[in-house]
Amino acid sequence: MEGRGSGRAAVKPMKTGTKLALVAAVIAAVTARYWFYLAAEVSLPTDRTGFVIGFLGAAALGVYALIKRTSWLGAIPAVFAIVVGAFLPFTVSISAQIVERDSVIEVGDAMPQFTSIDGQRQAFDSASLNGHLVLIKFFRAHW
Amino acid sequence: MSVDLPEVIADRRHLHGLQATMLSDQQLTVTDKFGLRNKGFHSAPGSEEAEALPVPATLLIDESGKVVWIDLSADYQRRSDPSVVLAAMEAHFDIAGH
Repeated sequence: MEGRGSGRAAVKPMKTGTKLALVAAVIAAVTARYWFYLAAEVSLPTDRTGFVIGFLGAAALGVYALIKRTSWLGAIPAVFAIVVGAFLPFTVSISAQIVERDSVIEVGDAMPQFTSIDGQRQAFDSASLNGHLVLIKFFRAHW
Repeated sequence: MSVDLPEVIADRRHLHGLQATMLSDQQLTVTDKFGLRNKGFHSAPGSEEAEALPVPATLLIDESGKVVWIDLSADYQRRSDPSVVLAAMEAHFDIAGH
């Protein structure tokens, strides 16, 4: 160690675990960034195998990095990779939408008559749509 | 149609410069009439505390009140692409001359 750096402040070589943790964090971050980019563009692919591999791979590498021992700072990217890598596949698994097959409206059905209120709390009656071409969109919420 | 409160709708309508009529369906009464309540797992919107959410859907209704086209999102991270909706409107509404 002699002659290297200035005594105590000398930079220790990075532990293997820490290096792995950084790689895992980068994989998780890049995959997540691309995921949210595609989500914003409404063009997430139906087949998401690549994403699942990317996320779970990052999480697994994060776990492996911790097993190989990281410095305590190096644990941060490892935990980041595990959390991101495990969380997004979870959101994918719960994103399926299920409607009741018997009650869902179908092509050829008459539009149900309904009343509602608009943004000004003014009453709205679907009868006002009669005789018009109408496009109805159901949103989950404002986002 | 959404489960947002009227105030939220008014706010967002202004924010996005939307011209369409936007309706609040907090109790999902209209959603249920259309059978569009999502029965799968969902993450309810934060402040509004709606008990459930509709499946994102786009419907076209003709002058006689009949549903002529419908697009359901099988996945909440996907929505009807505007180009798909426009193509359906051209096919079903004969709007070329309007």
